[in-house]
Amino acid sequence: MKIVKKRRPLSRARIIRSSMIYSVAGCFVLWILFPIWYTISSSFTQPSKIGARPTPFWPANPTLDNYRIVLGIPVTDEDCVPGMEINCQNAPSNVSVNKIIDTMWNSFHVSSLVVIITLVISTIAAYSLSRYRFVGSNFFLNFTILSRIVPGLVLVAPIFIFLRVLNLLNTPWALIISYTSFTLPLAIIILKNYFDQISIDLEEAAALDGAGRMQTLRLIIMPVAVPGLIAAGVLVFLESWSEFFFALVLTDSYTVPPLLAGFLGLQTFNWTLLSAATVIAIIPPVLLTMVFQKYIVTALASGTGK
Amino acid sequence: MVKGRKSKRSVSNRRFGFYLALPAILVLLILLAIPAIITVFQSFFVVPADGVGIGTFTRVDNYLFLFKNEIFWATCLRSILFAGIFIIGSTVIGLAGALLLNEKFVGRIFLRGLLVLPWACPWLIVGIIWKWFLDGSIGLFNGVLLRLHLISDYKDFLSDPNWALLMTALASTWRQSCLVALLLLAGLQTLPRDIWDAASVDGAGIFQRFRHITLPWLRPALTVVTVLNVIYGLMQFDVIFAMTQGGPGSSTTLLSYLIYRQFFIFTNFGVGSALAVALAIIALVGGLITVKTLYRKIEL
Repeated sequence: MKIVKKRRPLSRARIIRSSMIYSVAGCFVLWILFPIWYTISSSFTQPSKIGARPTPFWPANPTLDNYRIVLGIPVTDEDCVPGMEINCQNAPSNVSVNKIIDTMWNSFHVSSLVVIITLVISTIAAYSLSRYRFVGSNFFLNFTILSRIVPGLVLVAPIFIFLRVLNLLNTPWALIISYTSFTLPLAIIILKNYFDQISIDLEEAAALDGAGRMQTLRLIIMPVAVPGLIAAGVLVFLESWSEFFFALVLTDSYTVPPLLAGFLGLQTFNWTLLSAATVIAIIPPVLLTMVFQKYIVTALASGTGK
Repeated sequence: MVKGRKSKRSVSNRRFGFYLALPAILVLLILLAIPAIITVFQSFFVVPADGVGIGTFTRVDNYLFLFKNEIFWATCLRSILFAGIFIIGSTVIGLAGALLLNEKFVGRIFLRGLLVLPWACPWLIVGIIWKWFLDGSIGLFNGVLLRLHLISDYKDFLSDPNWALLMTALASTWRQSCLVALLLLAGLQTLPRDIWDAASVDGAGIFQRFRHITLPWLRPALTVVTVLNVIYGLMQFDVIFAMTQGGPGSSTTLLSYLIYRQFFIFTNFGVGSALAVALAIIALVGGLITVKTLYRKIEL
């Protein structure tokens, strides 16, 4: 078999096949990379050079000034940001510019709390849905699945008013509470799928050894479920980090997406700065996705069996 | 005796299961079920602008107002058009990507890693990236087209009503196609190699094998992916907000954007709720149609 395969590259079909593969792969790389590459290259471009035509693929005289300004590090360069109201020397004192790190912290806090709350509640609920039947358990499961289809837009007005009545608008709690409404169903579905794959023998063995039900869940099931918990946790974190609509409506640019959206409308905030802020803002989700890619894809794909 | 013990245990088990699910049930009741019911409720009322209290009952006037309104129908059509481009684009490009990555070639790992980039981008950032990529005075897209001599001068696609909707859909497709590719790839990699080899020994060509083996195998995955695409396509808000704010004119005003404006700019909660309910119904119908058409054929 192997020998036959090794000889095949000589055939014409083989050549056609590999040239097809490489041209499709090339198209794919361009499709994915072009927009991101432009963002990265703009973030290293001097603002005065951004208008060059045809738009260069590579920044002429790349500079780190955009990052310095966005991060609030003093800029010494002469040609720093023409036409901007920000004085280069006191760039650090300009609040709207170096807000990005603070806001990323906010995003991080909100997302972590959402992950913790969601995981605690969803783990026990998913375990229950996987192992126990109670009155309405099927209805609850279907409701959870269906709720993934119902848009946040349907919920936003009542949630907005709840939060205003409770005086929680403009606080991190507004986001933590509203995000739980869509992260919880997501986590429950993923974890239920995961628990379904764990053999029930484990629990039966534990029960024979006299372990209580809660003990079994904590000591026997949880350690086995770690990959599922990681997948659910990372996905919930990413959803919270990325969420824009609720953050726009319920807070005053508390997290990263509405902050960046606000920059879009600022005359003093040009694309070179925005691109630097954008690059900084996507580093955490990109790293997280890359590191945990296997877990997430498996979890999402196993949902496809349903 | 034994029976009694058994049923006692099952009652206790049932109760235990219920207690475990109770926190989630309560949270979803408060954060999902009740707000959804309130929204449906409010769609039959003229709600005061502060949104507190339910105001006056108007029967189906909010809906009649929508149904008689040309803007509503135009927006529905536009939303469906946007979703259509998005769904087809994401599925086709994603499927192509998955098939490609299922082959062995140099740089495969690199390309797989690249797929993560758009997927990891929040939707709003996708919008920001594409807004500037397509920009009519400094965007690289124009730079490329100019170098290829496809255009004679820079063109501002996002302020051209004929192009804006297509371009926002393209930007959304950019992210979604990568997610679709990764999910379908996961499905492809579970396809037993021997089925494929057996078919090839039997003389099935590449297209025959694709149609009769790969596609049926991927059907469950395709169903879920398409449902996801339907939802994201109909709900898209962030990309529109970042790229065009619904303009130029109303050429990219989707239902989601219209709802946002009704709620938070005109504070018209009654009509906004009616719109939200309409959107939810469209999404549910879209999801159902997808599941019905794609899922039924799995047995083949």
